[in-house]
Amino acid sequence: MNRIFAALYENNWFGIYDQNYPLIFDTLYDNGGYVKFGVSFILIPFICWLLFYRAWKYPYGNLLHWLVWLAITIVVVFSTTYGIANMEILASSNQALNNAISNSSTGYAGYSASLPLKYALFNGSLTLVIGFIYSLILKQYSKIQIHLPF
Amino acid sequence: MARKLYIFGIGGTGSRVLKSLSMLFASGAKLENGFDTVIPIIIDPDTSNGDLNRTKDILRLYQEIRNQIDQPSDFYSQEIKTINELANNSPVVNPDYFQFKLKNVDQNTFNQYIGFDSLSEDFKNSKDDKNFVRLLYSEKNLKSNLDVGFKGNPNMGSVVLNQFTNSDDFTKFGQTFGDDDAIFIINSIFGGTGAAGFPLLVKNLRGNKNLPRFAKISVAPIGGITYLPYFSLSKQDEINAESFEEKAKIAIDYYNRTIISQNKINTLYFIGNRGNTNHEEYAVGGQDQKNKAHFLELAGALAIFDFCKKINSITQTTQIKEFGIEKNTENISFDDMNIENAKQLSSTITKFKLYTEYLNKGLPKALNTARWTKSNIKLVNLSRQSSLDKNYFNSAEYKTQIQPFNNYFDEWLREMKENKPAFSPFEEISADNALEIVKGQIPKGNKSFKSIDIENCILTDDVSIRSKEKKHTTLIKMFGKSTEKVLSKHNLIIR
Repeated sequence: MNRIFAALYENNWFGIYDQNYPLIFDTLYDNGGYVKFGVSFILIPFICWLLFYRAWKYPYGNLLHWLVWLAITIVVVFSTTYGIANMEILASSNQALNNAISNSSTGYAGYSASLPLKYALFNGSLTLVIGFIYSLILKQYSKIQIHLPF
Repeated sequence: MARKLYIFGIGGTGSRVLKSLSMLFASGAKLENGFDTVIPIIIDPDTSNGDLNRTKDILRLYQEIRNQIDQPSDFYSQEIKTINELANNSPVVNPDYFQFKLKNVDQNTFNQYIGFDSLSEDFKNSKDDKNFVRLLYSEKNLKSNLDVGFKGNPNMGSVVLNQFTNSDDFTKFGQTFGDDDAIFIINSIFGGTGAAGFPLLVKNLRGNKNLPRFAKISVAPIGGITYLPYFSLSKQDEINAESFEEKAKIAIDYYNRTIISQNKINTLYFIGNRGNTNHEEYAVGGQDQKNKAHFLELAGALAIFDFCKKINSITQTTQIKEFGIEKNTENISFDDMNIENAKQLSSTITKFKLYTEYLNKGLPKALNTARWTKSNIKLVNLSRQSSLDKNYFNSAEYKTQIQPFNNYFDEWLREMKENKPAFSPFEEISADNALEIVKGQIPKGNKSFKSIDIENCILTDDVSIRSKEKKHTTLIKMFGKSTEKVLSKHNLIIR
């Protein structure tokens, strides 16, 4: 699973991956950071949409409610990913990475500081897609919000 | 065991009690002991009577709606048929068949009807005698038009109503009468048509050997409710309300001698109200006679349920019963009634009231928004789409059947509330406080129609409330279930 998620996150979308900073990516891989990112964008939207379709007993829901819920889901995933990235990179237990960040000549400090936002944006984008897919699946099991998003 | 109950509603009071009975049936009340079909028969010469025509229209709508429900089990579960439908096995709904036709009453005055002009003035040399007739009938009686009834004169009614036993309708009644069937008669004792028609009808049911299936009918269970005065009139004219009590006493004496003491009827219910009675707008008959619905008419309808419930324990000796309430009050609500009546009414009309209120005040918010009103949900199986979409609520069937019947129901409750004594178990509600519908009951939590909509959404997947052929099945069955669940959950029904 670690390898699957690593393949997903070690890409150059949003300018995330840079081979000049291997310490960061090795640390994320070794400490299960990618798995945490992956679980965030898979599990959090699932729980959110499960609540929307199964627990929310509001019969007058419309497309606007669905959009707001999608936005809330994205915000939750965004914040969670940002927090995880901060913890895994900037408060890492890997002494070598910590040393590289504290040494201004390596360039790690600036690059690592930009990563939590990039991972959060990336996971937020994935949530947009997976949230929509969850929505289409979970509405089949809904009694009240079956008509959303359409 | 399928049994039929033939209910004869005589005169204006008969029509109004049948109206109350129809409202209870629509609300889900059902007769016990296997009485699955009710055949209302209205006997009233006043064909343009407002009360009569309103009742006939209600019965027509009831039938039309019920015919569009697949196996009704809650609202509209009691079957109502006309004699004609039974005799001809015809499904055609025609409210005119709820009424027995009286011949020669449309254009004639009473003297024309009895052939008064052909009688002789010369009593010495003739077999007949106008003067003898004048002893029995006043000049006003003789010149009275029959197309508005007997204007409170049972002496006229007893002559004219004699003919219905020779009618085709009465023959059809006899032909369709089954072994386990029963008869119930509704009349008022203080008017003309009802006071005269009741003893005539009982006499014929028990003693007319020309009636088809007479052997069965003569021993069949017969119940009746006789109304003592319970309203007054706004002015005294041809019909004098001050004579109501006097006429009632004379009629009771006659009933006692000819019906009760001879055990011609199994159970006779008496109901009336003295003192604080309502003054109805004066009308001798015709379309102007449209009295406001009264609580006593609803109580009279309850007598029919009581009769059917206790039919297996009736005796050959006439039992006399009276209706009463627990607390003497001008504003009757469920808590003022005995517990059995309160349970019966609370569990039925509260549900139907919530249903009609919802369709008036709650539907606009849900329509085309809540899932149960949508039929075009994408990527969802057809079996989970709702048939109660915008097209249904705009359909001719909804607008000409469901809406008018619900309007009659609301009018019926409103009139009982405005009458004396008032029957007002419900509060005025809005969409936001809908569950505060029962007087004196304030439920906890959300009080809006939301809980009804939630239940309706859940029920949309229930295949047992669907029917492709019968258009009102889903609406009626859905609201029967959802109102029951919501009211029970909030303890708004007396159990």
